[in-house]
Amino acid sequence: MGNERRCVVTGLGLICALGDNTDKCWSAAAGGITGIREVKTFSTEDCYANKGAEVAESSDKLSHEDYDRSSLLCIKAAGEALADAGYTVTPENSGRIGVIVGNCVGGAASIDKYYTDEFKTGSAKPSDILKMPASAIANNVARHFGLNGATANIVNACAAGTMSLSYACDLIRAGKADAFVAGGSDSFSSLAFAGFHALHALSADACSPFNHSNGITLGEGAGILIIESYEHAVARGAKIYCEILGSGVSSDAHHITAPRPDGQGQMSAIRRAVKNSGLEFTDIDYINAHGTGTAKNDEAEFLSLHTLFDENKHLSVSSTKSMTGHCLGAAGSIEAVLTVKAVCEDVLPPTIGYSEEDLAVLKEKAGGIDFVPNTKREKTVNYAVSNSFAFGGNNASIVFAKKPHDLPDNTNREKIYITGIGKVCGSAAENAGEGKGIRANITSDDYKEHGIKMAFYRKLDRFSQIQLISGMRALADGKITIDESNENDIGIIIGTADGPMTEIVGFQKAVVEGGTANGSAFSFPNTVYNAAGGYFSIFAGIKGYNVTVANSVQAGIQSICYAADVLHSGGESIMVASGTDENTDVDAELYGKLGLLADSAPYSMDKPGFVLGEGSVSLIMETESSVEKRGVEKYAEVAGCAMTHCAVDFGTVSGSESALVKAIEEACADAGITPADIDAVSGFADGHKVIDGLELSAYGKAFGRDIPVFAVRQEIGEARAAAGTMQAAYAAELLSGKLGNTAAAYISGKKSDVDISGYKYILAAAWGAGGSYSAVVLKKA
Amino acid sequence: MNTEIAEKIKNMLVENLRIPADELEYTSELFGNDIGLDSIDSIEIIAGIDNLFGVQMTGAARENFQTIETLTKYVEEHMGE
Repeated sequence: MGNERRCVVTGLGLICALGDNTDKCWSAAAGGITGIREVKTFSTEDCYANKGAEVAESSDKLSHEDYDRSSLLCIKAAGEALADAGYTVTPENSGRIGVIVGNCVGGAASIDKYYTDEFKTGSAKPSDILKMPASAIANNVARHFGLNGATANIVNACAAGTMSLSYACDLIRAGKADAFVAGGSDSFSSLAFAGFHALHALSADACSPFNHSNGITLGEGAGILIIESYEHAVARGAKIYCEILGSGVSSDAHHITAPRPDGQGQMSAIRRAVKNSGLEFTDIDYINAHGTGTAKNDEAEFLSLHTLFDENKHLSVSSTKSMTGHCLGAAGSIEAVLTVKAVCEDVLPPTIGYSEEDLAVLKEKAGGIDFVPNTKREKTVNYAVSNSFAFGGNNASIVFAKKPHDLPDNTNREKIYITGIGKVCGSAAENAGEGKGIRANITSDDYKEHGIKMAFYRKLDRFSQIQLISGMRALADGKITIDESNENDIGIIIGTADGPMTEIVGFQKAVVEGGTANGSAFSFPNTVYNAAGGYFSIFAGIKGYNVTVANSVQAGIQSICYAADVLHSGGESIMVASGTDENTDVDAELYGKLGLLADSAPYSMDKPGFVLGEGSVSLIMETESSVEKRGVEKYAEVAGCAMTHCAVDFGTVSGSESALVKAIEEACADAGITPADIDAVSGFADGHKVIDGLELSAYGKAFGRDIPVFAVRQEIGEARAAAGTMQAAYAAELLSGKLGNTAAAYISGKKSDVDISGYKYILAAAWGAGGSYSAVVLKKA
Repeated sequence: MNTEIAEKIKNMLVENLRIPADELEYTSELFGNDIGLDSIDSIEIIAGIDNLFGVQMTGAARENFQTIETLTKYVEEHMGE
């Protein structure tokens, strides 16, 4: 036991339908005032519901940049939080404060605008394309405030805003940062409204959680917490709101939209959070519930709460979504801000909307739990929990405390090995030309090989298909069978640059052309970035950690870093780390309109473009004790990881080269070596002269010699996150000796065969638009 | 059975619900183990039938959704209502 790894909250920022700052929102929430009105952002003609909780401020009032609304909401809340924390960002400290943002719908407002423009006028602005992916958000926030610590967008739909806080704490406890701007953001979108409308999951009236439970009301906003290590907060004389203790992330492995009716997945997340906090269920004073107001959520959550907390005679639970609406990827963080206020003020915000008759019904259902109906409750709150549950069966729970509390130290510094690899990629010989690029070929035989029936795979969009196949191939290669004995000890991290853009665009176009009532119930569940991870966990039966990170091209290597962080924090013994990005006509058209496609090859140095590729590459990463217990072969050791950032405009990399050099140096340091020990690099050259030039220049600075570089994109194209994970997979295969003693490499941009038989260390590095970089050191096992 | 209607329904199922065309007969059990449609798919079928034929199937009895054949029969009986 020990609390030397204390994480504290030192700043709060909030914008939602209740107001444009924390004080206004808190005062409304504690006062039981709703932010739910009639929807203004778009037409709800022909829809059976028209309620929403929108932010009053137009985008141009939020910040001066030409960003998507989700980024602008986040900047507004982050600005308040940094000012509240009295955090002065300087060139000296900027590298130790990063940005982790939870998000669901990405740049949905910009996607709507782009395809509306195209539909109505026949042309749309290419600059809107860069606003579409969720990848942009954390990078835009980092750019606005000049923050150069690690960035990540956690895109696990309605649980994302809680998972982002959990990951920020894990990274601070691991010493990888002093502080994070952490939280979540989502704008009100026709995408989400039309989707939940199609699923008949919207309430016709304002939502009524734990009460009428006839659907959700969507909201928008951003909630940001400044989370710091205690030592750092004290050293700069910061005021401390409260402590963040443990958190828990789990997976239902049940259904792509509905929660498990038995609440097992929810309870697993809550159990992990309470246990990781060193607490008992009877210690908890308040729970800010997920409480969406759908029958399925509320029934499962009632069951979970009663099962875990019926011994607790002083528990209060409320759903602030009754006032803020369901803000999706921002929900968990908005609720975290309100929960921090509850802990500090000893006031519980209510669940509103109960009539006299409703109160009588509630009394029956509530048992010993106080659901704080209609009006606030004043009581001492020492320990509070905030819950978030999402599409894809992803659950997250986190504990806030008034005072420090000894946390169990689960840290695991065992070595980590790669024990399985699964790949789905195309090959250069199959380049379809005409800007279509390289695509993977999946047939029904690929599904049959893993026992995946048509009834399951027909539901999957392209992004989910390639993820499922690569994940199953990796599990098979690693000889992993999942059953009750290990289902909770295996987790998933998926990295992506662009997510399921084809499904998102298809859904959005139907809504633009046919109206908000024309959303597809079949397609909508696949428009969330974490659907692929959801399907994979459902089919494979994986019930542990499950997070999808959207962070440009480097997300494939970032997923490896993240998976290593989860293993080191003691959460799981096996992680599947995947990089996945699709290439369909939609993706090719968008990249084409950005002017980024060209028939070029790595290090040709003559074209500002690349051949688009696609794929999914999954790695099994496993702790040494697990490898020994299972007695399986090792490809290589993941000896060191690093994530760095140098804030530049999203969509560019120029000026951020120093962060790549830093990523290489830090990954080597993490592995206990120096760049001089690295034998070769599995690089990221894709044929774009700016990218390839930046890479060679940074390697020159980091290594100071002509180091051999392998270029996997030569064969698979710019498959973005998939190519990133492929770089590491290829390095691991080379080190394993399975590919022979020689390999084709580039030295100073010139191709030649190198003898790899004596190689001990290969580094894989990756770039992201906006200045995010990650690197891993693979060591011969 | 009106094969023109049946073919339109089949194409809608193939396109909207990604059912492989070669595995879909007019008599295939849509909600059985092989094709395995569920409640979300039935929402999509209702929307698709409405778009194609202007026939409302909201609240229609479950047996009408069993196969392309039964859907076709329902559409034939309710078109123009």
